[in-house]
Amino acid sequence: MNEPRTLHGDEAVEQVSALVEGVFDRLKPMLATAEALLSEAGTAHTADLDRIRPQVIQAIGGLIVGAGFVSAPRVLADQEFGFEWWTSSPDGDPMQLFISLDPASENFLDYTRQSWFTVPRDTGRRHVNGPYVDYLCTDEYTLTFTIPVRHKDSFAGVVGADVFVREFEHALQPALRSVGSRAALVNAQGRVIVSNSARQATGSLVRELDIPAWWASGAEPLSADGRTLRRCGDTPIALLVTRP
Amino acid sequence: MDTVRRGISHNARSALFAPLDQTGRVEAVTHRLVDAITLGLLADAEQLPSEAELATQFGVSTVTVREALVSLREQGLVETRRGRSGGSFVRAPAEHTVIPWQARLRMVTLSDLRDVGDHYLAIAGAAARLAAERSTPEDIARLEMATEDIRTATGAEASRAERHFHLEVAAAAQSPRLTHQEVLLQSERGALLWVPVGHQGEQETMYAEHRAICAAIARADGDLARKLTEEHILDALDRLAELHLSLVES
Repeated sequence: MNEPRTLHGDEAVEQVSALVEGVFDRLKPMLATAEALLSEAGTAHTADLDRIRPQVIQAIGGLIVGAGFVSAPRVLADQEFGFEWWTSSPDGDPMQLFISLDPASENFLDYTRQSWFTVPRDTGRRHVNGPYVDYLCTDEYTLTFTIPVRHKDSFAGVVGADVFVREFEHALQPALRSVGSRAALVNAQGRVIVSNSARQATGSLVRELDIPAWWASGAEPLSADGRTLRRCGDTPIALLVTRP
Repeated sequence: MDTVRRGISHNARSALFAPLDQTGRVEAVTHRLVDAITLGLLADAEQLPSEAELATQFGVSTVTVREALVSLREQGLVETRRGRSGGSFVRAPAEHTVIPWQARLRMVTLSDLRDVGDHYLAIAGAAARLAAERSTPEDIARLEMATEDIRTATGAEASRAERHFHLEVAAAAQSPRLTHQEVLLQSERGALLWVPVGHQGEQETMYAEHRAICAAIARADGDLARKLTEEHILDALDRLAELHLSLVES
């Protein structure tokens, strides 16, 4: 407990960073293939998305329960929306996920409003979305990791991967527990992703600190009033430790 | 893994694809799919999941699914195309064979409506209160977009906008369970709650109510968000009960 390293949560910070970078690394082959096919095809069609499949299927496994490419509107020549997404299944073979892409359909839900799509589009940067209830794809409490795909210097969609919040918690709870004090991983909106205390429940918002403002002003390590807040590597996740 | 994976387009239909008993499997699969198509839960021209995926979802063999698809093809409800972009596609029946909501509303009883209403009130009210506690500016922006949708919508679109708004509130509550319940309610009797009744000024009222709920959530006023949501649902129930009575009388 008195060992300074664990008190500062270095281990938790390193583990979060390694885990998040690991997920983003798994997206890189998909990103490369998506950008290559968009530039080679001249005008890409829905059928061309088949070419991303091997990379998508390779990305699934371990913490990653779903992955794929989602196009920006009108990037494909023959269809307004493009959605090539696969999920793991109980028997091990990934299955393709179909969602309604027809705006006139009863079941159409506009994915271009989802933050996993809008944040990479608007910032040009990779994003970890959630925890959120993913009613569109997994039907579960999910974290979605997305990277913007670019074509001819403009946004052409995202490649992404889904991780269940419970699996993320399994992986990181031991490191949080080893922090010793009350510790929580929070996203850029100040929402708790995992904590080592029932008092700071997953999904709740941290209101005692203005975390969005802290992110906006550079996310430099902060220590005040018995609280420390620090970013986990280059990820959009921070560790908040509250001393008793 | 204890997770049931649902591969089909929208989770509103997941209840339709729950595993079946092993008895009369072909008939049961056929029946479910016929219901889904005639009730409009599967849209015209929508691609069905592959035989293997349907088999997994229904918990039956691919042979069973194949036989059910043969029967659907014979009824003209499904069309199968070969080749690269091949697969089975829904062919929605002509308008007159779709069970209209009026017929469904005629069949329900007022006690049934009350019971569905109670359930809906519990789910949507709790979701609104939690959404007020847990919404970020991003969530509020999404709720506002869903609120605006109803303004310009007409007919079935308005009903979809209604359902989507409540789905967004449940998601903003950060509760997968409340979201599932909301979706299930929307896919069964609860869907009737948001049928386009077509009263003069109805849509303006709905829009104003959504705006008020949205504003209460944005102000993190959970008690008000809950109260307004409950009133919104009770009003919808009232309209529905009146309509039911007028349908039965006519």
